[in-house]
Amino acid sequence: MSELPPTTSVKRWFVTTNHKDIGILYTITALFFLLFGGVLALLIRMQLWDPTSQILSGLAYNEAVTAHGLIMVFWFLSPFGFGFANYFVPLQIGADDLAFPRLNALSYWMYLFSGILLGISFFQGGTLDAGWTMYAPLNIPMYTPSIGSTGAVLALFMFVVGITASTVNFLTSIHHSRAEGMGIMDMPMFTWSILATVWMMLFAFAALLAVGLILASDRVLGSVYFSATEGGSLLWGHLFWFFGHPEVYIVFFPALGVMLELFQTFSGRRLVGRKWVIIAICLISVQSFLVWMHHMFLTTINLEIKTLMMATTIGISLPFDLVVFSLIYTLIKGRIQFTTPFLFAFGALLLFILGGITGVFLGAIVLDYEFRGTYWVVAHFHYVMFGGATALFGGAYYWFPKVTGKMYDELLGKIHFVVFFIGFNAVYFSMFLGWETPRRVFEYNPEFQIYHQFGTIGAFVLGLSFFIMFYNFAKSYVSGEPAGDNPWDYSRTAEWAISSPPPLENWPNRPSYASGKLEFVKDYVPDGGPAVKADADGDAATDGGDSHEEHITEYPYWDKHPSHASIWPFAISLALGILLLGLSGFSESVTFILGESVAQTGVEISNPVYPVLIVVGLIGMIWSGVKWGLEDFYAPPSEFAERWPFEGVEKVKLGMWFFLASDVIVFGAFLSAAIFVRYNAGWMTWEPLTESLPGLINTFVLITSSFTVILALVAAHRKSRQGLLASLGATIGFGFVFLAIKMWEWNHEIFDRGVTINANAHGDPIQASIYYVTTGLHGIHVVIGLLIAIFLFVRVYQGHYLDDERPIEYFGLYWHFVDIVWVFIFPLFYLF
Amino acid sequence: MIDSLILQQGSDWRAQAEVFDEIFFVFLALGTLIGTIVVAYTLWNVYKYRDDGGEPKEGFDAPEVGELPTGQGGPKAKKLFLSFGLSAIVVISLVVYAYGILLYVEDGPDADEDNIEIVVEGYQYGWDYEYPNGHTETGELVVPADTRIDISVTSRDVWHNFGSSELRIKSDAIPGDTNTNWFSVSSEEVQAQGGEATFTVECFELCGPGHSAMEGQITVIPQDEWETWYEGTDGDSSNVEGGASVDGAASVNAAAIGGVSA
Repeated sequence: MSELPPTTSVKRWFVTTNHKDIGILYTITALFFLLFGGVLALLIRMQLWDPTSQILSGLAYNEAVTAHGLIMVFWFLSPFGFGFANYFVPLQIGADDLAFPRLNALSYWMYLFSGILLGISFFQGGTLDAGWTMYAPLNIPMYTPSIGSTGAVLALFMFVVGITASTVNFLTSIHHSRAEGMGIMDMPMFTWSILATVWMMLFAFAALLAVGLILASDRVLGSVYFSATEGGSLLWGHLFWFFGHPEVYIVFFPALGVMLELFQTFSGRRLVGRKWVIIAICLISVQSFLVWMHHMFLTTINLEIKTLMMATTIGISLPFDLVVFSLIYTLIKGRIQFTTPFLFAFGALLLFILGGITGVFLGAIVLDYEFRGTYWVVAHFHYVMFGGATALFGGAYYWFPKVTGKMYDELLGKIHFVVFFIGFNAVYFSMFLGWETPRRVFEYNPEFQIYHQFGTIGAFVLGLSFFIMFYNFAKSYVSGEPAGDNPWDYSRTAEWAISSPPPLENWPNRPSYASGKLEFVKDYVPDGGPAVKADADGDAATDGGDSHEEHITEYPYWDKHPSHASIWPFAISLALGILLLGLSGFSESVTFILGESVAQTGVEISNPVYPVLIVVGLIGMIWSGVKWGLEDFYAPPSEFAERWPFEGVEKVKLGMWFFLASDVIVFGAFLSAAIFVRYNAGWMTWEPLTESLPGLINTFVLITSSFTVILALVAAHRKSRQGLLASLGATIGFGFVFLAIKMWEWNHEIFDRGVTINANAHGDPIQASIYYVTTGLHGIHVVIGLLIAIFLFVRVYQGHYLDDERPIEYFGLYWHFVDIVWVFIFPLFYLF
Repeated sequence: MIDSLILQQGSDWRAQAEVFDEIFFVFLALGTLIGTIVVAYTLWNVYKYRDDGGEPKEGFDAPEVGELPTGQGGPKAKKLFLSFGLSAIVVISLVVYAYGILLYVEDGPDADEDNIEIVVEGYQYGWDYEYPNGHTETGELVVPADTRIDISVTSRDVWHNFGSSELRIKSDAIPGDTNTNWFSVSSEEVQAQGGEATFTVECFELCGPGHSAMEGQITVIPQDEWETWYEGTDGDSSNVEGGASVDGAASVNAAAIGGVSA
């Protein structure tokens, strides 16, 4: 199904894989979550009106605080920025679409369904009430027992899965599909910010994925990581903030990118010190992973490490100084036009300056000791994160004419800005004045009531201001003036060179910057052959940029039209949503009664709804996954593209490498958790739970299976169907042997030695949890690998992959990775 | 501001609140000054270089759609680095200054034999205190003036944070982990509050539905009164003696005063 229905058809929005459509879906969904989180914020503000009376129970207040934080950080800020990124990054780099259009649709649907899961969690006995930071052990069922709490954790997990797919997609696109002549330093600043953002996301969200999986395991399977007194609480703190600090920049950078674009467009000046701004952005991205413990200054971390973290924290403010000064100096000597987008971007700069200065306060440990857990922190991060998002609203006005082809109402836009800016400062500056109030407390010292009441009024003004924007956009969409292709005097980037709204496939001809500026060149397409690059005179030339020679053989269907529609991203996300909804109530509805052996172990199901959802979701995922794999979906790579620093790496392989890099962090986090807890428990007090022989045999089994995958690739290269079937079959066989030994081992542990996921007859229960969860995660990787291998096996039997062995190669990369991980797991759990 | 760098030794200690107020003032003054200068400079320039519809000034080079960014540099970048250098100097000197004070806050005044070590244990939703002789109190911590109190903070269930805004002390209470902090209240302060200084303790980390109401109290009484009271405890819990914690402490206080007059 590659025909895309028209935009007026409802069906289009379920099947589209076009980056512009998905950008619109992201933006609208994110604005919905802005309202959702905003309503929760107003509930919080109403409760804060009077410290002596209660309109919410303590539990309901905590739920509102938690959900407000989670929704605004995860379901609003990032997706709002990525709505623009989806729409405009491919346009700014001169690409036809993102590298993997179906994966892009999958990310969106995962995002939407994860948000729906979060919404459902409110009706599952109440959503999570542990704060968005979810500190351990408040985040485990003993203290937050509702099914909805588990639902919220799983919703976050699903969101992160979607995010990871999106990250890989953007990294591959920006590194693989830039138009000819657009070097990496030539990219527009918005695209640069997104590139830095996705690099941070690749590693930061992997850490969140890992810690989310561990938390889900604690909540669904009953492991005891975060209730362990052997460092369970601090383990959460470290892993969460290792993600959490880069996350601050992850939500801020898209907004910074918008500021950098808008300051140039509306002053008519090019960015001052552009190269240094890019260097500063890269520096911040790296440094963001080295400051996380400043969120934990009051824990028991020793002074030396705290001092180091203080130095890196203050250090990270310096590149930001440079960026801020660059923004200011860009305006000087310009012709500044006070349009609505500029006002929002400029307002964002002012708010960010205030947020930055108050952040330096927090970097000084002595001050942080007192600010910890107070409204100083709340005010600071709202100025930074929401202050940044202010620029995103500027972006919405800036690009509205491009997306809709209509001009917004300038007067209403300016009124929106004024009301917004006043409301913003009323609500958040009052927090600085009443900063001694503890966070997440509503029975606060009445001394501060005046500030909180002022803030509550401000919050309603702020909330109201958005309805001006919604009205403006709705009215302008219906009856606005036609905007033309380029309504701005000094715009530079490529999206303004095409019509508003842009056509489905973006460009009239192939965009190229080879001459130093954007041109659309017509390539010579010989009858029955691939495109041949045109030279400067428009004649056909054969010195085709990056390896297009290869693409001829790689893509035997080179003359097909690109596909733009697939229902399977929607279907897989729906199925995963159902599966996770089922898992949220798993531990409440299914009880295992352990007997002497597997045969005597009983299962009691108190509520069949959740187990049924799990089964339906699983079947749905496998079914739609197979359909996805079988679908004939064609997304051609750009034939002539700038690919530094990954020249010569094929598109899917590049994506695979990015994915594996993030999986390295996931396993790294699991292994670090194991080492951290063991260190806290006293390293030498633990003996291996298991005998080493089964582990040793399994090591050999996996390493051998890595060789058979290589044999499979060789066989495919030689176009030997028999050889390919045999070696792939052997790989599958070894995989099953590995799982069988694993099952024997678990069976032996549980029934002969009394070691279950939360009980250990031979030592600390946490040791048993770590063993089962870490080797279990590896086991799940093996199972997924086997499912893919079986899919490939059947396809080979049907005669595929002999002309194109790349799927075998990419499966091999994954399989080798899973084997290498085992090499790390084996000594840690079987030898020492 | 300068003499704070010469940190007091021995009995000439400074309370954490005093240290905090000083460094907060320095940061606030500098922050306000720099913030005002930067924002005022920016606003003035934005006004000055507004597009007034007139002819573009000489040297104005309007960008075009589809151009690649050209190399920049020259005098503008120099100005950029000058500002950057200045901000780096301000920020780094602030941190060095703050670091000196951090070392004092970490160690506290010199320890002497009169130090009292209290174990503070958080729970949902309150605080337990254990004295060196094994005596425990719930909710209210009674300590003597002019004495360095060392607290070891931990938690029985979830992550709490033991803090008193007025004393400017705060410590994470983490299950399975022990955190240390110190405070000290002068007898002048106790006199000023009428012979008994009280400070509210709050929980600064979300710890459950009762978090909002999780309060405690630190009561500081003159040294001699406290010693009499302390001798009367024998390792029992205050709860055993009956009465709510605050009332209990009040009656203990009265007894102590009686003891002195007798």
